[in-house]
Amino acid sequence: MSRAAQIIADLERRGQGAFVEDFDEDQDRMVINMGPVHPSTHGVLRLLLELSGETVIKCLPLIGYLHTGMEKECEDQTWRAAIVIVTRMDYLAPFFNEQVYSSAVESLLGIEVPPRAKYIRTMMAELNRIASHLIWFGTQGLDMGAMSAMFYGFRERELLIDFFEMVTGLRMNHGYHIPGGVWEDLPEGWEQSVRSILKVLPDRFDDYEGLLSHNPIFLERTKGIGGMSKEDALALGVTGPIARASGIDWDLRRDMPYEAYGDLSFEVPVETAGDVYARYLVRMREMRESVKIVEQLVDGMPGGPFKVMDPKIMPPPRSELNSSMEAVIHHFKIVTQGYTVPPGETYVTTESPRGELGAYVVSEGGSSPYRMHMRDPSFVNMQSLSVMARGGLVADLIAIIASLDPIMGGVDR
Amino acid sequence: METKWVDAGAWPDLARSLTEDGWWLADLCGVDRLTLTRGEGGRFEIVAQFLHRKRRERATVHVAAAGDPPAIPSIVELWPSADFMEREAFDLMGIVFEGHPNLTRIMLPDDWEGHPLRKDYGVGKVPIEFIPQPFLQFDSPHQQPNSQEAGVAVDRLGQPEIEGGQAAGGLSHFGDTKIGASPEEDEDHS
Repeated sequence: MSRAAQIIADLERRGQGAFVEDFDEDQDRMVINMGPVHPSTHGVLRLLLELSGETVIKCLPLIGYLHTGMEKECEDQTWRAAIVIVTRMDYLAPFFNEQVYSSAVESLLGIEVPPRAKYIRTMMAELNRIASHLIWFGTQGLDMGAMSAMFYGFRERELLIDFFEMVTGLRMNHGYHIPGGVWEDLPEGWEQSVRSILKVLPDRFDDYEGLLSHNPIFLERTKGIGGMSKEDALALGVTGPIARASGIDWDLRRDMPYEAYGDLSFEVPVETAGDVYARYLVRMREMRESVKIVEQLVDGMPGGPFKVMDPKIMPPPRSELNSSMEAVIHHFKIVTQGYTVPPGETYVTTESPRGELGAYVVSEGGSSPYRMHMRDPSFVNMQSLSVMARGGLVADLIAIIASLDPIMGGVDR
Repeated sequence: METKWVDAGAWPDLARSLTEDGWWLADLCGVDRLTLTRGEGGRFEIVAQFLHRKRRERATVHVAAAGDPPAIPSIVELWPSADFMEREAFDLMGIVFEGHPNLTRIMLPDDWEGHPLRKDYGVGKVPIEFIPQPFLQFDSPHQQPNSQEAGVAVDRLGQPEIEGGQAAGGLSHFGDTKIGASPEEDEDHS
């Protein structure tokens, strides 16, 4: 049994509440709850801690406070309407949820979206990755006592959110990527907006690094803290920037390309230290890489349709409804019943800002998903917290949670 | 992408041999095949996704869970990452993982009844999510229901108290989740 397996088995064997049996006044042991409502738990994460003084002996995450049964809800929606639910899972990276679900439905339908749709999707996803990492930057800084990081991170995120609103009409939970393409073409003036954002961001990243990368307090609190070995990361199923900070050189965008990633050139930052600082370095470099990716996408944005022109899947354009009876019939069918998807199952993955986001979708040939399961990276990564927190201080635990960047909407779904 | 269908008995050995072969467990979830074509095992199964990083391949393993409650050997010792995944499948689908160190509910409260992702667990059919509350005491005599006159225990609305005092839940339940389940009147965005 590996070390990680032992820690997990040990924790789970004791279970919730069983820690108290170990309570020993001589050893100065204490069992406390951290959360679910705590400013450093990034949502409603509850941690059961056994402490010896300030040292964390055991840490057991207790989740489910945000569970709303989204997977079950999807089974009652049409294939297209389920997007509205899916996008609310990982609410800081909604484009990735939509994209992975749409790809799964497309793979069941056996259709391929036009190149322009692929490029638009990839561009929005990469901008979303920057927006998501900016929130991480802000909260990581804030939790380490650097209040200004929070202000800066949210200021730059606002630029991106404004652009999302310009394109999709909504700041969050867009419902923009749908099976068969995207909901609407990019609006006029999009290129100018993206380019102005891309022009600003690298300078701002320099500012951020100037703030934190060499800040003695920040270094003291992140270097050598929350270490996780490569073996533990693999055994615990950890993916994304946390895995890459532990030396796992794996990125689905590069290694199993999807959408437009095959056409792009970019680097995958990898660190080997495995501590909180390594995760900081990986995410900061990822944001810069995302800027490069978006530049390439804007330069190479193809023309043509932004969705499949199959009227059985996509409603016909509004302009046709006045002149074509067939268009009206197609429109009516899609609006009232949705479309059916051939029986089958598929597992599609995306590299989300938090790791491997997978959608397992089963169809029985009906007009709604038979089973929709999301492998959310936050959910799987959460288990590594027990291993990373063991033996550190409570103050280190705050740094570790921030570096984990969990989204409780994705953890609990 | 290859797909395998195995019985519960063969699952730990298969998982071990896949692991030794370099496969990495990515995901594990439960499926209720109530109205789907079933494998040999029956209604319930788990679906595990594996990834081979060197070959850049994925593999899917379907493990049939027979019996009532459906049971499957746990692989937590082999893959600590399966801990939360198995607990989730137990909680939401009711599949028992034999040998799991702490098979308890992970998403839902510990006293929840039923397993919501099962196909015979309808959305909106179960409005009870309130733990029975003790009989409420009121300070003002005008608010206090007169239980002595009624001869039976009454709740604060003056209704005879249901055993366990469960009457408070679901009073305003009108099945909005079920209503929302009808086909969407989606607007045309084209």
